[in-house]
Amino acid sequence: MASGPMIAAKDVAPAETPKQSKMAELERRVERALAMGGEAKLARRKAAGLLNARERIDHLVDPGSYIETGLLGVSSVLAEDRDSTPADGKVAGFARVDGRPVGVVANDFTVKGASSSLTNMKKIGHVKRVATERGFPLIFLGESSGARMPDNMGSRGMGTLLGNDPHQYVRHRESPWVSAILGQCYGSSAWYSCLSDFIVMRKGATMAVASAALASLAIGQQVDPEQLGGWKLHSEVTGLVDRVAGTDEEALDQIRLFLSYMPSHNQEAPPVAAVPPGSDAAAAHLADIVPENRRRVYDVRKIINAIVDKASFFELKPRFGATAVIGLARLNGASVGIVANNPMGKAGAMDVAACEKITRFLVMCDSFNIPIVLLVDTPGFVIGIEGERMKAPGKIMNFMTALQMCSVPKFSIIMRKSYGQAYLNMGGGRNSDEVAAWPTAEVSFMDPAYAVQVVTWGRDVDDEARAALRAQMERDSDVWGMAEIYAVQAVIPPGETRDYLVRMLDVHTMRRSRGVGKHLMASWPTTF
Amino acid sequence: MEVSSPVTGTIWKIEVGPGDRVQEGDVIMILESMKMEIPVEAEAAGVIRSLAVEPGVAVDEGQALCVIES
Repeated sequence: MASGPMIAAKDVAPAETPKQSKMAELERRVERALAMGGEAKLARRKAAGLLNARERIDHLVDPGSYIETGLLGVSSVLAEDRDSTPADGKVAGFARVDGRPVGVVANDFTVKGASSSLTNMKKIGHVKRVATERGFPLIFLGESSGARMPDNMGSRGMGTLLGNDPHQYVRHRESPWVSAILGQCYGSSAWYSCLSDFIVMRKGATMAVASAALASLAIGQQVDPEQLGGWKLHSEVTGLVDRVAGTDEEALDQIRLFLSYMPSHNQEAPPVAAVPPGSDAAAAHLADIVPENRRRVYDVRKIINAIVDKASFFELKPRFGATAVIGLARLNGASVGIVANNPMGKAGAMDVAACEKITRFLVMCDSFNIPIVLLVDTPGFVIGIEGERMKAPGKIMNFMTALQMCSVPKFSIIMRKSYGQAYLNMGGGRNSDEVAAWPTAEVSFMDPAYAVQVVTWGRDVDDEARAALRAQMERDSDVWGMAEIYAVQAVIPPGETRDYLVRMLDVHTMRRSRGVGKHLMASWPTTF
Repeated sequence: MEVSSPVTGTIWKIEVGPGDRVQEGDVIMILESMKMEIPVEAEAAGVIRSLAVEPGVAVDEGQALCVIES
């Protein structure tokens, strides 16, 4: 009988036990899931300067804090897809950012374009439910081709995949939602972005209802992806994006920064940060920023930066509705929301875009217990056909309703002009908790230059009388009349504004509810 | 690069002429709107190629004011 070389008994590996074989299977499946879409696809992304889904999570969260949910999930729709859908294309789990818990869903574009299907939708639903019920922010790292085809095709596909969660797109703002648009975002990636409280977009990424390719098919002509959903469109025209970043890393850093101003959930006050040394110094120069000539403009950001804690101003939507400036900041370490008219933009007159951006910002601040500071210098709302075609009166009322529904403390500082309805929208009268004015404040129904023409219309009034009338109106616009009847609570020199706000924030702390507001706008629509 | 009007108003003062070199942030012209003087600044350094308006002209938001060559 032929035999091979002699083999010593000790060199023969014992047969694998069932337990060992199962452990090896686990190892194999874990390794397969962590490999994402494979070396080639990952290398291409790296070459293009893009992070992959797991690298994005690593950059965003505190080191070692990430614990994954559903690592071994794969397509549960098509048997033939099981081997090609590691983590079913969406990497989800829980982690910490600056020591505070978060839920995160990162789209893995290397796996079927991170398309949505049954398993990954269940994962998202789970992370969302846990974040909501346990009280921490939800972070979406967006890059997805939309719903997975052919999984969703036909009536059976639709019935299986879509429409089975009656609460999928409801926001009651229990905790902050944050989205980064880091690639093509169509379908659920776009929907969750629009539902978020803070949206940052990387240049080169796109967000739209459907891809440019599909749009070109549908309308029979070439559609440019940038025009359809690029960063310029969304930061300047639609205002659907709050900030723009140059790289994935920059976008993720902005998410950390945004979250640092926010509470983990709506039943707690925002965190208090340390006050940078030298934060009190800049306020002394406030009086120099507003020009001597009342016809001259200035950049209100200079005023904001001189009032708030040093380097704490985080502007939102800087290129949308630029006649107003909004953003998060800190006063004595406490988060505040700043709403300021910017004379640099249309003389500070508010247009429809400014109304929309301010309204959404009021809703967010009020929903997350962040007090609001309004800095006023506006000649009124922009008048004209363009605005009326964009429903200006309705937008002004949305703004007014939101302001009046706020239960967080509101403070209004009238720096210079405050005319007409805009006087109310910027917190005048009882539309904020405390109104203080600078000596340079001018308050009236209408700018005297226009008002004198309105009241002398059709009457025989000579130039001298008209000039005298105008001069009287200008004197009447001085702040002293309001102060005398207690229609402002204080008149203060500009240099005292920071100190005034810090003290009033303390006075108006919501002690009886431990810093938590009534959240009357928690279910306000996310776009309007 | 075309510089367009940020607001509906009237051209009040033009601070540059064709051929002038401007730095980023330089005031190119001043508009009047809502009884205020609104400066229009150069977004990038360059040379003024042409002016599309003159003082006293009414302009709409977005209307071309001048062209700068970088």
